[in-house]
Amino acid sequence: MVFSSVFFLFTYLPVVLAAYYLAPLRWRNVVLLVLNLVFYAWGEPVYIVIMFASTAIDYTHGMLVDRCKRRGNDRGARMAVASSVIFNLALLFFFKYWNFIAGSLGVLPIIESLPLPGGGSIPFTLPIGISFYTFQTMSYTIDVYRGDAGVQRNILNFGTFVTLFPQLIAGPIIKYKDLGDQIDHRDHPVERFAAGVQTFVVGLAKKTLLANNLGMLWDAYKATPVSQLTTAGAWLGILAFSFQLYFDFSGYSDMAVGLGRMLGFEFAKNFDYPYISKSLTEFWRRWHISLGSWFREYLYIPLGGNRVSRPRLLFNLMVVWAATGIWHGASWNFLLWGLYYGVLLVVEKFFLNRFMEKWPGWLRHIYALFFIGIGWALFAVEDFSHLGPYLGAMFGFGRGGLSDGAFLYYLRSYLPMLVMAAAASTPLAKNLWDRLGQTSRKVLIPILALGGLVVCTCYLVDATYNPFLYFRF
Amino acid sequence: MSKKYSVFLTALFCGFLGVMVTANALVPDREFSQVENRPLAQRPALTAKGLASGDFMSDYESYVTDQFAGRDGWTAAKAYLEKAVGKQENNGVYFCEDSTLIARFEEPDQKRLTNNFNYVNSFAEKAGVPVTFGLIPTQAKIWAEKLPAGAPNYDQTLVMDQARESVKAQFVDLTQALEGHKGEAIFYRTDHHWTSLGAYYGYVGLSQALGYEPVPLAQYSKTTVSTEFYGTVFSSSGVRWVEPDEMDIYVPEEGITVTSHTYDSKGRPVKEPRQLYDESYLAKKDKYSMFLGGQQALGVVETGNTDKPKLLLIRDSYSDSLVPFLTPHFSEIHLMDFRYCKLSPSQYIADNGIDQALVLYSVPNFVSDANLLWIGR
Repeated sequence: MVFSSVFFLFTYLPVVLAAYYLAPLRWRNVVLLVLNLVFYAWGEPVYIVIMFASTAIDYTHGMLVDRCKRRGNDRGARMAVASSVIFNLALLFFFKYWNFIAGSLGVLPIIESLPLPGGGSIPFTLPIGISFYTFQTMSYTIDVYRGDAGVQRNILNFGTFVTLFPQLIAGPIIKYKDLGDQIDHRDHPVERFAAGVQTFVVGLAKKTLLANNLGMLWDAYKATPVSQLTTAGAWLGILAFSFQLYFDFSGYSDMAVGLGRMLGFEFAKNFDYPYISKSLTEFWRRWHISLGSWFREYLYIPLGGNRVSRPRLLFNLMVVWAATGIWHGASWNFLLWGLYYGVLLVVEKFFLNRFMEKWPGWLRHIYALFFIGIGWALFAVEDFSHLGPYLGAMFGFGRGGLSDGAFLYYLRSYLPMLVMAAAASTPLAKNLWDRLGQTSRKVLIPILALGGLVVCTCYLVDATYNPFLYFRF
Repeated sequence: MSKKYSVFLTALFCGFLGVMVTANALVPDREFSQVENRPLAQRPALTAKGLASGDFMSDYESYVTDQFAGRDGWTAAKAYLEKAVGKQENNGVYFCEDSTLIARFEEPDQKRLTNNFNYVNSFAEKAGVPVTFGLIPTQAKIWAEKLPAGAPNYDQTLVMDQARESVKAQFVDLTQALEGHKGEAIFYRTDHHWTSLGAYYGYVGLSQALGYEPVPLAQYSKTTVSTEFYGTVFSSSGVRWVEPDEMDIYVPEEGITVTSHTYDSKGRPVKEPRQLYDESYLAKKDKYSMFLGGQQALGVVETGNTDKPKLLLIRDSYSDSLVPFLTPHFSEIHLMDFRYCKLSPSQYIADNGIDQALVLYSVPNFVSDANLLWIGR
């Protein structure tokens, strides 16, 4: 189930809000747990087993770590943490990376010859959100060990944390230490609900109106045969993809934050206008903040962070960026994309930063956007045989020349959308909004919220518009 | 935000959800969507098996979205919104000049195309009678000038060129026959088919290959049978601001009998009488099916001109409106549609004393057809 769907908006969400607020305060976590499980089981009922297993195993590990620590058994506590990390990573590797690794190493033919069910490749679909919730539960036991989080003794409360539907399938990655208190005790002021409504509608509009729409432009260029790719077209395609990915992901995060607020939670923001960055280092402080901070806290710093020798530091950075890349998907291009950023950030850190400080602002923006754009090409074009020609076209070696009629057609058709997306990528709209008088804002909010909901509904209903043209033959 | 204002905003949001939930509960479920021309999903039965497999969930989601209150209005509003933000297409259909909607023609799958040419060739080899292969270019080619500037379409001429090279049967490219009359209403503006007038020019274009002297158009009088036709492109576009099409017929149907050969539920052959023009379809959405009563696996048109040859026409639905013009020149026209018909056409030719064969498709249907394998059998 995705948030941007007719079913979520007009069936699941009303049921959630009604059941949650009709339940007495002390029952709300249990009600929420049940609703979370329904949400997760809706798409693939079998995988609810993973939810139960994750909850039970991480809960037990947390208790174990806590008990060892109380008894001064640091070795035991460490063992428990290691066991929890291994379990979570195993879950992730099994479902997400097994087919990729086996396929890449060329061992599939060997495994396939073994009498294994499914011929050695895992016939399952990827359980949704597995990359997010395994990271969340992993951080729990680590934080209990570090003393950053208290242990959760109520398994129902812990289950509510693991399965919390607003951020279950697409983040933000919320650490238990930031949410544990809210799980145990939270209030439900109407102001928070109202703020949640606004954030949710903004997120829904980002996803439904901007991301989906510009996604169609990217799809058109992704499907363009190599022989017809033009330079202008390749850049337009990447521009569209940059907006699609940002508004898709940040829209989803906004919806998560909004829904969280409606249920009394407060999640940290996940994106902070990444496309206004003046360097790639800054970009990664603004893009998918919860992932970056997770890797920093649980991978980069444990590896020694930057308090190590320079070769070791380089190694640490490359490990972190390779992990960041491959986290995005089990495919070589994601690894390449991660390492691409690893290299660029090292270059910035050790070399370029000194010079960049003297560059004018506009040059730094262009520099950052240029490399971000090339990065998205690596990210978006999964087929390596297509990636070379696509990058080639971006640099003027396209077989279709510099520009063509199709480029002008798409530019004309999508220009208003692109302008809107560009404006929404900067704090411009927010600054204008803040300068409006309070009365104007009070009048505009309900109009925009309701209008946004109605317009999004048009697009969501149309997404299921499916004329059957049997007589089309 | 003051508390009072927050209560108002919360009420507004919950009110909107509440109104939609109530509307969905109150509006009766529909069986069939005229606009989308398909049965709509109904409330699925709750079973343990359906729950375990997840089928219940996906069926229920389809049910909720299909039966969403005001569904047709929401989709129409989306098309208007797209137009308002400068889009020149919706759901793969271009908004064109003269109240015209034209579906995009995508680059064909080359493998399928090559295979389809080969199937035509193996039919031509086995047929034992002269075989003509014709391709009908569509709006995206003939009416390209009406498209928004630069609108991407694969060039149908490339398919024609490939056909000329690959096909061993006599090939007729109808581009010229139609292009000369592109200023006339030779295609519907809201449907993917050609009009009767377009079919007439196609009939003229085929005359040399099929060996007949075409009847001059002036000998026929035009009868308008409908002025309210909204076709397939209209349906898939979601667009609601175009004018309906007019449907005309030219050839009188006196003395012509049409028989559709099909099978009943037990697999026994059944003969079903049809008409050249079945006007009962004019009251329905699918008005184009008025020609020969729409799709059929195997249809036989007897014209009474017993001295004329017998034609086997392997075809798509464009031929439904072409057949009336062919009736003066053949004693029988046998129509085969290989989406439904799995007979061997060369065997059929031998069994029924067919004198010549025509394979006629529109370019988009030919490049995407997955059933041509059967004509080579």
